[in-house]
Amino acid sequence: METLHIAANSLVSGLLLGGVLALAALGLSIVLGVMGLVNLAHGEFVVAGGYLMLFVLQPFDIDPMLAFPLIAAIMAAIALALQRTLLRPLAGGPPESSMMTMFALSIVLQNLYLTLFQADTRSIQLPSSAQSVEVGPVSFGMIYLVGFLISVLVIFAAHCLITSTQFGRDLRASAADPEAAEIVGVDVERVRGWTLALGAACAALGGVLAGAIFGFTPISGPAYLLNAFAIVVLGGLGNVFGTLVGGVVLGVLQSVGGVAFGDGYRDLVGLLVLLIILGLCPQGLMGRKHA
Amino acid sequence: MNRHFFNLRKLLSCTCVSFGMSLAAIAPAADAEEIVIGASLPLSGPLAGFGRDQQWGYQAAIDDANKRGGVTIDGKKYSYRLVVRDDKTDPSVTASNTETLISKDRALVMLGSCTPALVNAGALVAERRKVPMVTGCNPLGAFRSVRKWTYVWDIFFDEAELAEAPFRMLKELNIDTDKSVALLHDNGPDGKVVGGTLWPRLAQAGGYAVKQKAEFPVDNMQFTAIVSELRTKRPQIVLVDATAPQAISLRKQMAAAGYQPKVLVMEKGAESEQFARAAGALSDGVMVGAYWDPSFAYPGAQELARRFERDTGIAVSQHIADSNAAASVLIDAIGAAQSLDRERINRAISRTDKAYVVGPVKFDETNTSKLPIALSQWQGGKAVIIWPRRVATGTYLQPK
Repeated sequence: METLHIAANSLVSGLLLGGVLALAALGLSIVLGVMGLVNLAHGEFVVAGGYLMLFVLQPFDIDPMLAFPLIAAIMAAIALALQRTLLRPLAGGPPESSMMTMFALSIVLQNLYLTLFQADTRSIQLPSSAQSVEVGPVSFGMIYLVGFLISVLVIFAAHCLITSTQFGRDLRASAADPEAAEIVGVDVERVRGWTLALGAACAALGGVLAGAIFGFTPISGPAYLLNAFAIVVLGGLGNVFGTLVGGVVLGVLQSVGGVAFGDGYRDLVGLLVLLIILGLCPQGLMGRKHA
Repeated sequence: MNRHFFNLRKLLSCTCVSFGMSLAAIAPAADAEEIVIGASLPLSGPLAGFGRDQQWGYQAAIDDANKRGGVTIDGKKYSYRLVVRDDKTDPSVTASNTETLISKDRALVMLGSCTPALVNAGALVAERRKVPMVTGCNPLGAFRSVRKWTYVWDIFFDEAELAEAPFRMLKELNIDTDKSVALLHDNGPDGKVVGGTLWPRLAQAGGYAVKQKAEFPVDNMQFTAIVSELRTKRPQIVLVDATAPQAISLRKQMAAAGYQPKVLVMEKGAESEQFARAAGALSDGVMVGAYWDPSFAYPGAQELARRFERDTGIAVSQHIADSNAAASVLIDAIGAAQSLDRERINRAISRTDKAYVVGPVKFDETNTSKLPIALSQWQGGKAVIIWPRRVATGTYLQPK
């Protein structure tokens, strides 16, 4: 009975945490799907969200619910500037140039965080951080539920943006065939800029939630990037809802690994099962099969 | 002809300027006699909090020595210079840093990093190169277990005493519990010794029921299964040995799960002020082993603490004391040896018998000098000594 209780709590927590990780991964999926860019600085965008919340907004006692859209807006603006200065000049060149540029940016950002904020572990305090929820025999952290709901909301909003707006049509056109999109009048570079901005905003929001649940340091980025890659691959490249499904599946798989073998084996079990799933379904759980 | 003369004149000008600049670069070095003391420290990574405090402790000792005029050897005056390299909490980097500090930075002597994995990695290099090294921040059992040392000296506590401290505290302070305990630790060298071997043995000997045991990698940040089990089994005593990021994450996840032990000890991770800052009110009641407090009657203890808080603006950490003492031991040994010969310096270290800011230092045949253990508890963002009673600066507080 005790074991069932432990397993149930772990699985529910894993499911909810998976939603939070999916939000952190969404930006990578969109950027990879549209720009074909492997954003190796994605993890640092996630961490940036945590630092923005801690050092820019919390000192002003801003309501956390108001802080979220502000952080998204600030991060989007920063990403837009980065795209215009670093990536736009490389347009038309080999994809490796952009990838290496983002890799260099990730190193620069890690060292910038270290210089500005020191190497100490930081943690975000939200009102729900230390509260628990009990539903029958199952209990989990309130912050996990809040994080999951925020993630679902943002992912749904991103989905609506991509499927029901002019920008979304331009984004999908740019992803499908950039040259054809240019011919029909889509400013592909502008779309790419806003895509990176959208991706960075989602990453930063995921970073705030992860920072409230776990904590973070200047070098936490690579761990988030690794998780994000796993989720994107699992869910299907560029598929918004697929990213949510991928995050939840990975969260549950990791929980199963944690319950069965100990928390130290979460990542190992999660990634092993990921390999098995990809072996059976190479396009991901919700990706489209290529002809 | 004119163009040729112009080019030659330009070439001669450039050569003179370059030669002058080279002389300018060399000249100051020729006048400055320096003794380089090297240290590889974790200035980034999970142990960055410790590294920063150690660097301060080392630098303070060196600054004090230079203010006193440095050292005069054979009529020649020398000042001390600390050269620090960041090992990023990676033992392989500690080893290569130590090699670089000795061969490239010309370190005459070395100071240690922090925690067994890092200290021992650097110590092995120093030992091989026959370079005297004094270190703190390395539990004595882990230090002794590596090899019989000749050139490396350790000033710290014994992990057997550290492991025993919570059990002795519970008994002596008469804290009421049902004697159910959970033992959680990382898989680093000290985590495995304290959490994996000593605590289970002591729990059994003390009649405690071990309801949960768990080991996890040093970089693991998700503790869902562990916390679920804690919440289900509800041990009243939880003993943890983990790094600061893990301690913070685990404490938050425990609170989020609605689980609150009566007694919570978080060795290593709850030591530095970053734990109290990051965990906020959740840090109240968390205990950690302590070997130094400004209130201890050691020479310069209070002044060192005040100086640290003035310089950094953050609450004092005990790591400033063992690091300051380690550097002071080295400096005193160089002065006593009256020589830059490493063998003579090493012999002078072995003869150390003096009270420093961290307490009395005298090395035994295993090259170690033991510091006594106390227990401190975070209360309102401050570390308060709660055990043993004779040095306590506050009373025990149950975690909220």
